[in-house]
Order: sequence, then C-alpha cells, then structure tokens
Amino acid sequence: MRRPGWGHLLPACLLVLFYLPVLVVLGQAFLRPNAWSELVSFLGSQPFRRILAFSTTQAFWSAFFSVALALPGAYFFGRYEFPGKRLLRSVMVLPFMLPGILVVLSMVVFYGQNGVFNQWLATLLPGRKLAFTGLYGFKGIVLTHVFYNFAFCLRTLGERWERISPQLEEASAVLGASPLRTWRGVVLPLLAPTIGDVGVLVFLYSFLSFTVVLVLGGYLYQTFEVLIYIEYNTKLNFARASMLAGIQMALLAVVLSLKRWTQRLVQQHSGEAAPLPPLHPKRQPVRTGVFLVYLGASLLFFLLPLVFVLIRSLKQRGLLDGSWTFDNYRLLWGDSFRFAVGSDLLTVIGTTLGLSITVGVATAILAYLLARGRRQLPWGKLDLWLQLPMGVSFLTFAFGLIRLVGRSLHPALLIIWAQVFLAFPLVYTLLRTARREWGEELLAAAQTLGASGRELFWTVEFPLMRKALGSAIAYGIALSLGDLSAVLVLGQGKVITLSVAVYRLIGHYHFPQAVALGTLFIILAVLLFLIVERRLKHEAEFFTN
Amino acid sequence: MKQNFLQIDVAKEYPEFALTANLTVAEGEFFSLVGPSGCGKTTLLRLISGLAVPDRGRIILDGQDLTGVAVAERRIGFVFQDYALFPHLTVKGNIEYGLKVCRWSTAQRERRLRELLALFELETLANRRIQELSGGERQRVALARALAPEPFLLLLDEPFAALDYGLRRRLRRELKALQTQLGFTAIFVTHQQEEALSLSHRLAVMEGGRILQVGSAPEVYSKPCHPFVAKFLGDANLIPCTVEVTGAGLLVTPEAGAAFTLPADGGEVVEPGSYLLMIRPEDVVLAEKEVVYTGELMTVEYLGHGFYAEIKTGADLILKILVEKTTALKAGQTGGVSFRKQALKLIPIN
Repeated sequence: MRRPGWGHLLPACLLVLFYLPVLVVLGQAFLRPNAWSELVSFLGSQPFRRILAFSTTQAFWSAFFSVALALPGAYFFGRYEFPGKRLLRSVMVLPFMLPGILVVLSMVVFYGQNGVFNQWLATLLPGRKLAFTGLYGFKGIVLTHVFYNFAFCLRTLGERWERISPQLEEASAVLGASPLRTWRGVVLPLLAPTIGDVGVLVFLYSFLSFTVVLVLGGYLYQTFEVLIYIEYNTKLNFARASMLAGIQMALLAVVLSLKRWTQRLVQQHSGEAAPLPPLHPKRQPVRTGVFLVYLGASLLFFLLPLVFVLIRSLKQRGLLDGSWTFDNYRLLWGDSFRFAVGSDLLTVIGTTLGLSITVGVATAILAYLLARGRRQLPWGKLDLWLQLPMGVSFLTFAFGLIRLVGRSLHPALLIIWAQVFLAFPLVYTLLRTARREWGEELLAAAQTLGASGRELFWTVEFPLMRKALGSAIAYGIALSLGDLSAVLVLGQGKVITLSVAVYRLIGHYHFPQAVALGTLFIILAVLLFLIVERRLKHEAEFFTN
Repeated sequence: MKQNFLQIDVAKEYPEFALTANLTVAEGEFFSLVGPSGCGKTTLLRLISGLAVPDRGRIILDGQDLTGVAVAERRIGFVFQDYALFPHLTVKGNIEYGLKVCRWSTAQRERRLRELLALFELETLANRRIQELSGGERQRVALARALAPEPFLLLLDEPFAALDYGLRRRLRRELKALQTQLGFTAIFVTHQQEEALSLSHRLAVMEGGRILQVGSAPEVYSKPCHPFVAKFLGDANLIPCTVEVTGAGLLVTPEAGAAFTLPADGGEVVEPGSYLLMIRPEDVVLAEKEVVYTGELMTVEYLGHGFYAEIKTGADLILKILVEKTTALKAGQTGGVSFRKQALKLIPIN
C-alpha cells in the first residue's frame, strides 16, 4: 500500500526544485533597486531591438523553411504506402538525438568556407569562383536550424496528413471541386493547425537556440540565450543577465500561449488514420519519380554532412584531399588535446557517460513515479506546471541555479539538477502516454487473478513499460549529451563533457581532433538512437527477408 | 421518364478482384446494389462517380458519355459510408460547400440552403460543428450536402451502416419518402437484404464482381435465378430435383421426396433435366395431402409472430419451415409437408 501523502510529496518536491531557481532569476531581474528603470531603458535601446529582430526573424525563417520543405514529403507520407516507410519514419528522429555541437560541426565540415560543398562547387564549375560563404551568419544559422528541425516537421505533418481521410477529398471532388480547390478548401484547413503547431515549435527551438548561434553567430548575431551567457560568463554582469533572462521568459510566455492555442486547434478534429493506397511506380511514374528525387535530396542533405565528419576524421589533418590516416584519432591522446580541452580523453568520456546516464535514469525514475501517481490524483493543472521547462531556457535555469546555491554544491550535481529539469517534460510525456496506452484494465485483470504488490509490478507493469522506460532513459541521456549551455555555466570549467570538448576544439581551431572526437560522439548518439527506436531492428529484419 | 437514363457497361480489374457490370437505371428510379462485402458494389459506385476509372467500357448518363469527364464535372451526388463530412466546417458550411465550389450566386445559395435546412429539419443545427452531431443528424447533413448542387444522380454507399437498427429503419422510411417527393434517381449500395427489398424499385444482386440478377424486389425474392440470390435474399430451401415434361405440365421429383406435378405455366419454358428446387420456408406447409416429404421436427424456435422449425426427412435433408403462430409446433413431432406450388422456383444447374 502507498503511504498517504506520498503521492503529493513527489510532485511538491519537484515543483520546488524546478521553480526555485526560476524564481531567483525573476527576483533578481525585477525586484532589485532600479530594476524597472533599467529594464525600460534597455527595452528602448538599440541592442535590445537588434537581438529581438534577429532572434525572431531567424526563428521565423527557420520555421518557415523547415515546414515548407517538409510539406511535399509529408504529402507522400500521408497519402501513400511504400516499402520502408516505417523505417524512414524512425530514422527521422535521428537529427533530434544529435547533440547541437555535432550538428554545428557537421555543418562546418560540409558548408564551411573550406567545406566539402564549396570544394565540390569549385570542381564542378571551375573558374566561376562560386562559393557559399554565409555559414557564419544569418543564412548559416537558419540552414542549421532547418537541418535540425526539418525531419521532425516531416514526420509530424506526415502523420497528421494520414489522419485526414482521403474520403474527404473524394467528397469534395464529387461536389464539383477541382484538385486545387480541394486543397484550399479541405486539406489545407485541416492541415493548418498542425502546420501552425510545428511551426511555432520550430520557432521556439530556434528562438532559444544557443549552441548553433554561439558558434556560427560570432559577435554580430546573438539570441537572448547567447547574450545571457556572454553577460554572465564574459562580462560577469549578473544583473544584466537576470534581466535578459526575465525578458526572454516573458517573450517565451507569449510563444507558449500561441503554442497552446495551436495545440488545441490540432486536437479539435483529429480523425483516424485510414488505409492508404500503395505508391505504384508503374501507375504513377511521375509521382514516384518526384518522391524519389525528394527523398534522395533530403537524405543527402542530412547524411552527407554527418558522413563527411567521418570521412574527414580519417584524412590527414582533416583535409578532404589529404591521405587516409588514423593520426587525428591518435592526436586525441596527445598534449595538444589536453591543452585545448582542459582534460584528457578518458576523463571526458567518463564524465560524459557518468553524467548522462545518471540524468537519464534519474529523470526516467522520477517521471515514472509521477506518471504512476498521475492516475490516482486529480491534479488538473499540475501537468501544465511540470511542462515549465518548455518555457524556461537552459541558460535561465542554470543561471538561476547558480545564483540560488552558488558554489556550495559540486558542479556535477548542479549540472544533473539542471539537466533533469530540462529532460523532464519530454520524458514525463513519453511515460505518461505509454501508461495510458495499455490502460488500467490489465492491472485490474492481473489483480483479479490474484497478483498484488511486487508481483504485480514485475509480472505485468514492468514488462509492459520496459520499452517505454528504455526510450525514456535514452531520451534523457540524449538531452544530457546535447546540452552545452548548462555545462558551460554550471561546470565552471571543471566539468568537461564531449559537447564542451568539441566546442573547445572548434574554438581553438583544432579541426582534425574536432572531427575525430565528433565521429566518436556521432557513433555514441547513433547507438542511443538505436535504443530509442528498437523497432528499427525488427523492421530491418523484415526488409532483408 | 427515360428508361435508359443511366447505362453502365464496364469492367475493372484489380490484382485480387475483377468487376464486370452491365445494367441500366431509369430516371427517377431507386435502384439498389446488394451483395456481401467485397462483391464489388462499392467499386461499381466509385466507377459511376468517377472516383475510380474503368479499364474498359462506358458509362452513359442522360445521353452523355462520362468517359473522360472529371469527377468534379459529373454532377453526381455521393453519400459516403462514414459520411466524409468536413470536420472543419459547420453544418451550413458542409451543405454550402458544393454550391460555393460550383459558383452559385449568393442569393441562389442562400435560397437553396434555406430549402435544404428546412427539408432535412436542420435549421436549429445550421451553425453546429460536425463533431457535435448525433449519427442520425450527420446522416441527414450528408444527404443534404450531396443533394445541394442538384445532382443528376445520387449515389449512396451504405449510408445507414453506422447506425443502430431502430434509427436505420426510421431513416430508411424518410429516405424513401424524400426520394418519392423529390424524384431524384438514386443508386443505393447495401449488404442488408432487408434494406434493399424495402427501399428499391429495382435491385441488382452482386457476388464476386458480377451482377447475378436484376429485377424488382418481389421478382428477385420470389423468382431468384441463381442459388446465391435465393440464399442471400431471405432464407431458402434448395433441393436438387429432376424435371420431366408431361402432358399435364412438369413432373418434379425432388431428391428423396415424392414427385408432384406443376401445372404448365403460361410463359416460362422449362427444359427437362436437373434443377434446384427453391422454396421459401414460409411456403413450406404442414400437410396430410400431396405430401412431398415426411420427417421429424428437430429444432423449433418461437419467433413471436410464428414458429421457425427444421424438419429432418428420411434422407439427410433438412427442410426449413416457417409457420404461423396458430399452429403450435413441438420438437420431436412427426408429420408430412407439402409446398405451395405457385411459390416454387426451379433454378437450372449449370
């Protein structure tokens, strides 16, 4: 039996742990003497307007291109059945599992000044002096955000499209509507809420972007997140940093209420997925061709940058025309690595794994306990409050945490605290949904058959939840691996993870080592991804047989 | 009234299934396609509407060949099984959709909308969202939407399938009354024999992608020309028999039963040979004269308005019988049965 009160104790503790640091930031931002006058003068200043303009425009274009490029693919995923569809759909989670710094590294490798893309341009069109030079700037930032979010948009929009019954389009045609009119009058209105919803989400991610903008933005382009970091870390201007965090939270509140609105619209009319016709190469040669070209282009867009990290890690000095070698990997053991990164390779890997596994397991356990209690307690808005991290950035939280407890706790502990907080919403949603899926009847059935207590958990509940728990832990680990900002702020230079190491190697222009370490990192991320999408294995078997 | 209002002669092949159909529908007729699921009735409906394209053949509607005419230009109304109502539009928006698409003027549109809302008693629901409607209300909206642009022909694909029995019967009567009132031509698809028999002027029984028989409901019910039709529409006894032609008429000898003579029927020419004797359970009577079979009552079910029983005759033949409630039946009882001759149908064995 559950002790009375225990069910409320856990959420209460979590709320305190989650909210205190945030309250500290808000307090410092708005309750200081002169806070409001400073705020007003800052809101009227040139830097504020510049950052706001940059953050919103880059986030807007990132969302726009992610959705616009995903729509044609979503059509094929939503309207046709084809071999490998489920496999492709699971692969689309991959970019999301990739740590931000790796994405940046891949982009630099591929689209950078001396990147693969420019070398290909020079080879294909010699003498034309064509080159893409915009990676370090607005275009590059948007490109990288699209790289990050495109697959997620494609997946979500495709799944939604599947739930728009093809019969609605037929009904429209029978009533006399042309295909264009049907698209405008039926499909688009039904798809629009989802377009809006993923659009707002991509906007949110891009608005909060830290790693990408930190590396590619230089001093010219900054998001609030980057500026908070600079004020805190470089200028040691804590008051300014709090104020920026406060402003960012207010802006995020606006975006999040927009998100809640679009989400409600999405839920309003969600139909059932209907069986789809197969895509027939013989009967629809044009359509199949278009789809194959689209698919090929997007796969190249995704995979080439990653593949070239691997290739260049095996080239002399990381150069494309260098000879094949393991030198770059050997350099990871050398002094120059230790000098640039501040720690040796084994410590970095050990720290990273230790931190991320702790965060993954702790988040999953906490979230699971909460999800279990969820059905017995009428919580109402609590779920909403637990989604808070969506509206608080990594940096705000990390910054609040350090103002709250200062140096009294070990940096590693602070990092775990922050990362659990950040991973919580996703992990919690995942586990709660999984629990809801198999319902309470199974537990009731087991109870009527005589199972109780520990037996009930190990014979019914755990086997049913094992897969979801595995995914939850892997997501937690992935979030921890990908986090750069909390580690930079809370680690105080002492805790060095793989993300920090790659960041420092890029910063010190140790490019050969960066690609070698990046390759190891990619392998780790892909392994994690494979755990999350375990179904993948069965599908692979299915397709080879 | 044009007898050849709709002429269909098409074939369509799928990897797992082939459909061939040849039939005509008269103007103002309520025509049903009935058959088990997978018999091709919905496919035929889709071919008529243009949602599917036939491999061969033609469909001619009111003298116009529809081959190559786009779905949107055919002006054929379609009521889908799950209604396919637009979830993002209100009742009014759904009904108006076809009018807007066909560019009716605002005044015309409003007049038509008022008319339909009144006809289907939807006035109070006009601004409701589709999700807020009951099954019966949705059904009415679907019908109103399909009829709004004044189609030449209305196709209904099992429109009552999602509803419970009581509601289905009520809506069936309403649909019939509506069709009589407005006089539109309708093709109605169902797998429920009761629906087809009660609604249609004529019906076609389909099986395995073929049309087995076309005729009025009483005709098809009482004179099935195929064992499948006999069994699908109602309950039937099918007994192998031989037929000889004599001066007095036809001498019918059912398997393991007593021979009897059918008076020479005016029109129908019957060749001697092997047949299936089709007799409905309600046309089998307990009798002491002209007994065809004697046997023992096996199961007896009380149905309220009468009894249903199965009689085991000497051979391994089970006869189904339906008697009025005035005749009390008991299991184990033995006796003789005879057939109502005028209700009997001989189906040739191919």
